Amino acid sequence: MPGFKTAFQGYGVRFSPFEDSKMAVATSQNFGIIGNGRQYVLQMTPQGLQEVRTFDTVDGLYDCCWSEENENILLSASGDGSIKVWDVNAPPQANPLRSFEEHKHEAYCLHWNQVRRDCFLSGSWDDTIKLWNLESPHSLRTFAEHSYCVYAAQWNPQQADIFLSASGDCTVKVFDTRQPRPTLSLSAHQHEVLTADWCKYNDCLLATGSVDKSVKVWDVRAPARPVAVLAGHGYAVRRVLFSPHAETLLASCSYDMTVRLWDFAAPEEAALRVWDHHTEFAVGLDWSPLSEGLLASCGWDGMTWVWHSSADPRQA
Amino acid sequence: MEKAAQRQKVLLSHLASAHGTPEVAPQPTSAESHDRRAGDLDDVVIVSTCRTALCRARRGGFKDTPVDDLIAAVLKDTLRRTGIEPEAVGDIVFGSVMGPSSQRANELRMAMLFAGFPHTVPVHTLNRQCSSGLQAMASVAASIKAGYYTMAIAGGVEHMTSNPMNWEGTVNPRVATCQEAADCLIPMGITSENVSAQFGMTRAEQDAFALRSHRLAAAARAAGKFKNEIVPVETVLKDANGEERRVTISEDDGIRPEVTLATLAALKPAFKKGGSTTAGSSSQTTDGAAAVLMMTRREARRRGLPVLAIFRSFAAVGVPPAIMGIGPVAAIPEAVRRAGLGLDDVDVFEINEAFASQALYTVKKLGLDLERVNPNGGAIALGHPLGCTGARQAATLINEMQRRGKAARFGVISMCIGSGMGAAAVLERDFSDDAERSARPATGVHAGLSRQFAG
Repeated sequence: MPGFKTAFQGYGVRFSPFEDSKMAVATSQNFGIIGNGRQYVLQMTPQGLQEVRTFDTVDGLYDCCWSEENENILLSASGDGSIKVWDVNAPPQANPLRSFEEHKHEAYCLHWNQVRRDCFLSGSWDDTIKLWNLESPHSLRTFAEHSYCVYAAQWNPQQADIFLSASGDCTVKVFDTRQPRPTLSLSAHQHEVLTADWCKYNDCLLATGSVDKSVKVWDVRAPARPVAVLAGHGYAVRRVLFSPHAETLLASCSYDMTVRLWDFAAPEEAALRVWDHHTEFAVGLDWSPLSEGLLASCGWDGMTWVWHSSADPRQA
Repeated sequence: MEKAAQRQKVLLSHLASAHGTPEVAPQPTSAESHDRRAGDLDDVVIVSTCRTALCRARRGGFKDTPVDDLIAAVLKDTLRRTGIEPEAVGDIVFGSVMGPSSQRANELRMAMLFAGFPHTVPVHTLNRQCSSGLQAMASVAASIKAGYYTMAIAGGVEHMTSNPMNWEGTVNPRVATCQEAADCLIPMGITSENVSAQFGMTRAEQDAFALRSHRLAAAARAAGKFKNEIVPVETVLKDANGEERRVTISEDDGIRPEVTLATLAALKPAFKKGGSTTAGSSSQTTDGAAAVLMMTRREARRRGLPVLAIFRSFAAVGVPPAIMGIGPVAAIPEAVRRAGLGLDDVDVFEINEAFASQALYTVKKLGLDLERVNPNGGAIALGHPLGCTGARQAATLINEMQRRGKAARFGVISMCIGSGMGAAAVLERDFSDDAERSARPATGVHAGLSRQFAG
């Protein structure tokens, strides 16, 4: 499928959890340094990706996330610290449905709880993570445990109350929302940790990606040393995501402009694939939860691509 | 526009590692010097720190342990932690204060042989009293800079069980003609009384500071914060009946979590009638050893070893011997100045608590934020093995800064020195990058597919 060119540069891409052909792309003008933002909703058609809706914002958008309980609800994380809630089916004047304005600096990541489905997390450059519910006008809780930017917050796919966060303070922390403090603080890398994700089949495994160019896989029960270290990226790793369909498969994207596929269970030959379809930083990445092996990526070249992991994005 | 500049800074720092030097530091300080120097291959860097547990002299876990076993334990663990080949070490320099000078030099030599170093590696001890462990690091840093070698181990040791503080022989009667020379003979506890009298440090605030030290140290131990720096030592311990048993000592045993203001207030002044310094607000006498592996950044990079900290500056200064405790008040600003920094740039201070009086006076006089000082307690709770202390502080400081990640860039180690001196050093965490070592070339675009994608 040919790539889709957005007006601004891509920061985040997410497949809809309800419709296997729908996806959202968060974009920012001027590489997110200064300017506006635009949230796209795209549809995969036999002719390629087509624009369904766009929502414009005054500041750049760094991430987006679909609701897990309502197929029309979409969130965007904005550079002004706000979180916009869109209804994809509502008329333009009804959007945004809400704007949550609590973060003091850039809102950078979003993740909806996939077990309980009624709440979501936002992480920000104000060093905090906030827990939200669409029904509440204010955040339910603020987790202020990091000492530098939070770049990722991800719910555990099996434990409804557990989530992890990755930060520029070089740690990954694991939180249980029933506890007052983090249950684990993992000094995962010597450099900023830009991304982390849980394994979908083993609720004790997580992966981290860092400015040090490596991806590491950890078992939270034995946090002293990583289960695997995956080297190959030439610059910082921007996102790492476990496959929703295979326990040991991971995808990652990087400032080195590549997207890579790994099997961490094969330590010597963990690198399975390298895709170099982006011509600028590869920033956004997602696995389709519904179609096995389907990946999407977006980047600072303004391109959004969808492809199957057995193929090349430009040929498929 | 400021926002845009901030964003640019955060995003640029994500690319830091690829260039060896960061174009923009993630959290720049007012310092001009560090960006200029960051990533310099001739920087002297620390790649490993470790220490034994600190155990009370005469009553603690190491009372029956030979001093060379303590040294051998930290030397051996330095090899284990870094995987360096022992014959490549250019020198082993240990601070030691009370141990008989020549005998201790011999014991260090034997200890390194026990630890598996070949006889081709040289050793020496040095003594700048309570700063000897730090002085060893400074001397190694200077020798690396001078080009004598690219890599050496600095450390310190003290076994106060077998070498208590005392004066041997007679005193030169000429001290009667020189007041300051005579002041060098004042017992340390009395110098503490002098500091509290001269600068108005009350008993109550000294007790509160001592309590803080125990509380913080107890919390740090309970949280496992010392685990990474402590090398467990297998040794023998005699019980009250002289019965020997084999034990593994892996925890500091001077920390008293149960201590309260009331128990501290009940203690009698230890050194002077009507004085304010008690056993509770003084450092403990202690057995222990610590070792630090230092090398050029070039060497660390070549070996793929992590840079835990850069040794930025060192200063030793003199103060009046009668109030030797104020040493850090003079030494810290000097070391910080030599690093091109201001006191506000320092995120964590490890200031040796010889006495609550002088440690607290240092904090007050320099206007330091107490939150940044000895966040895991100090010598009042952990103990003060004289020659070891500076190297022990390096281990504790570096581990604390690592835990804080990007929030802690600069740290200071300082202590007062008997006979009237102070020493201080500035360490900097390395936010430039040596991660090239961990990166290897990609296996190739068409590497074999896993079972999921075969066919």
